[in-house]
Amino acid sequence: MSLREIFSPGPLPPAHLTRRRDFWLSLMGIMLLAGLLMGVERLAGGYWVHMTCLAGIYLVLASGYNLVNGVTGQFSLAPNAFVACGAYVTSLLTMAPAEKALNFILEPLVWPLSVIHLPLGLALVIAGLVTALMAFGMGFTVFRVRGDYLAIVTLGLGEVIRVVANNAQGVTNGPLGLKGIPHLTNNLWWTWGLAVVALFVLTRLAKSSYGLALKAIREDEGAAESMGINVFWHKMLAFTTDAFLEGMAGGLLAQLITTISPSLFTFFLTFNLLIIIVVGGLGSMTGAALAALLITFGGEWLRVVEEPMSLLGLSVPGIPGMRMVIFSLLLMACMIFMRRGLLGKSEFSWRWLLAVLSRRGPRP
Amino acid sequence: MSREILRVAGLTCRFGGLMAVDGLDLTLRAGDLAGLIGPNGAGKTTVFNLLTGRVGATEGAVSFQGQAVLGLKSHQINRLGMGRTFQNIRLFGELSVLSNVLVGFHGRLEASFLSAIFRLPAYRREERRVLARAAELLELVGLQDLARERAGSLAYGQQRLLEIARALATGPSLLLLDEPAAGMNPQETANLAGLVRRLRDDMGLTVLLIEHDMRFVMSLCEHITVLDYGKVIARGTPEEVRGDPAVIQAYLGAGLELGQGEAVHA
Repeated sequence: MSLREIFSPGPLPPAHLTRRRDFWLSLMGIMLLAGLLMGVERLAGGYWVHMTCLAGIYLVLASGYNLVNGVTGQFSLAPNAFVACGAYVTSLLTMAPAEKALNFILEPLVWPLSVIHLPLGLALVIAGLVTALMAFGMGFTVFRVRGDYLAIVTLGLGEVIRVVANNAQGVTNGPLGLKGIPHLTNNLWWTWGLAVVALFVLTRLAKSSYGLALKAIREDEGAAESMGINVFWHKMLAFTTDAFLEGMAGGLLAQLITTISPSLFTFFLTFNLLIIIVVGGLGSMTGAALAALLITFGGEWLRVVEEPMSLLGLSVPGIPGMRMVIFSLLLMACMIFMRRGLLGKSEFSWRWLLAVLSRRGPRP
Repeated sequence: MSREILRVAGLTCRFGGLMAVDGLDLTLRAGDLAGLIGPNGAGKTTVFNLLTGRVGATEGAVSFQGQAVLGLKSHQINRLGMGRTFQNIRLFGELSVLSNVLVGFHGRLEASFLSAIFRLPAYRREERRVLARAAELLELVGLQDLARERAGSLAYGQQRLLEIARALATGPSLLLLDEPAAGMNPQETANLAGLVRRLRDDMGLTVLLIEHDMRFVMSLCEHITVLDYGKVIARGTPEEVRGDPAVIQAYLGAGLELGQGEAVHA
C-alpha cells in the first residue's frame, strides 16, 4: 500500500490537458514555500532556521540518491562519498586563506588551494562538477557489477573516500577536519533554492524519455539493452547527475554546520538517506522529498517523548534515547502498512490531489 | 530476387561441453517470412541470443545488412535494425503499456539530456511525434484501449502483443519473434498470424520466428529451418520440411522408439 493507493480517486485526467493549470499551481506552491521560509527566517529562532536548512539539504540528498536507487534500480551505497567530496571542495574553496592557514597546523595546505578564495555560488558549482567527475570515474568500476555486488563495491568506495579524507593531510587536514567554514546568513535561501531546482530537474528527468529508459533498466536490464538502450551510459548518467546534486548539497551542509571532519561522512549518512528513500517510496522523487521533510522534522518532534511527563497522574521521568525507539517502531509500522513507501513508485501530482479533494467535497 | 539482409555462416556456440549451436548457416532476404523450429533444447533461442549479441559466439560470422555484428553489444545491434521479442516475456512490468512502447523509441531519440529536462522545443516536437507513433503501434497490435494499464497486469497473450509493439518501436528491418504464439488461444493465434503477415506485407519487415505451434508455423512461414542438437537437420518450404524423415525422427524419435519421444503439436 502507499498513500497513492489509500487515497485513490480513480482514473485521473491525462496530464497534457491540465498542464497549464498544474504549472500555475506549482508556481503558487513555490510562492507559498517562499512565504513559509520568510516566516521561519523572521519569526522563528536560529534553531528552526537550522532545522529547515537541514531538511532542505536532506531533500536534495534523498531525491538525488533516489534517482540511482529508486528510478534506475542500482543499489548504490556511495552517497556519503559524494557528500564528503562536495563538502570538502566547497569548504576549501570558500574559506579565507588566513583561516585555512590556522586550520592546517600539522601540514600546510597544498599550493593552489591555500590561496584560492571563491564566492559560494561558484564554489558550489565547482563542488558539483568535481563530485560528478569523481562519480564518473567510479562508474567504470561500479557498473561492471550488478545487484548485491554493486552495493558492496559502492560501500567500499564510500569507505575509500573517507579513508582518503582521513589521510590526505595536506588537502583535507586529516582527522582534524576543517573548522571555521564561513557560515551563511541566508543559508535558508541557498538550500531551498537548490532544493526547488533539484526537485524540478529530477521530476522532469524522471518523466522524460531518459527517465523512462532508466526505469526500463530497473525493470529488466537485458530487455532494455535489447531495445537499443545503452545501459552502461544511462546508469552513468543517473550516477553522475546524482553526484552533481549531492556534491552541491554536501557543500551547503558544510556551510551550515561550519565544521567538517571525515567522521561526519560514514556509512550512517548513507543509511539515513536509504531510510528516507525507502519510506518515501523507491522510485518516487516527490516521495523522497516528502520523507526527507518528515524524517528531519519528525526526529525533532519526537523529542517530546524524552521529556519528563505525567500520564494519568503517573509521573514518568524522561528517558534519553526513547525517541529512537519510537522512531524505529514508526518505521516498522510504515514498512508493514505501507510496504511500498509513502508514494510507492508514483509521483505527487496536482491532478491526484485535486481529485482526492474533490471526491471528499460535496458532489453536484 | 530481393537483397540479402542477414547472412549467418558457421555460427557455433559452445557452453562448456555442450554444443548449443553447431555450425549454423542461414540466409534471409529482405521480405522473407522464415521460421526456426526444432525440439526443446535444440538451440533456437540461443541462435536469437547470438544474433542479438546477448550471448557470445564461439565461432562463425553474422553479417546483418552487410555489416558484421558478432562482438557488437545488444543495443548496437538493435540500432542497426534488429528487433526481438523474448520467449519468457520480458516486459517492463511496472511501467504502463504506453511507456513500454515509448522505451522502444528511446534508443533513437535525438534530443539531448538537457533538452529533455528543460522540455525545449526540439524535445517536445520529438515527443509529440513519438507519442503519435506509439499510439499507431498500439492500435496495430490492438492494445490501444489498454495504453494506461500496467504492462504486468495484462493477459498473457496481450503481453506477447505488447512485446511485438515494443520491438517495432525500435524501428527494426528484421524482427526476431521468439515463440510469439506461446500461451495464446486459437483465436489469438489466428489474429497473430494476420498481424505478422501485415508486418511483412504492409511494413516491409523481414521476420524470423521460433514457434512450437506447427499449424501456425506451417501456414505462415514460407521458409523453415529445422534445428536439432544445435545442427540444421532440414530446411525448405513447409511441405518439404513436413515430409523430411530427419525432422520426423527428431520430433518423434527413431521409428523403434516411437511414442517415447516428444509429442508434435500439430
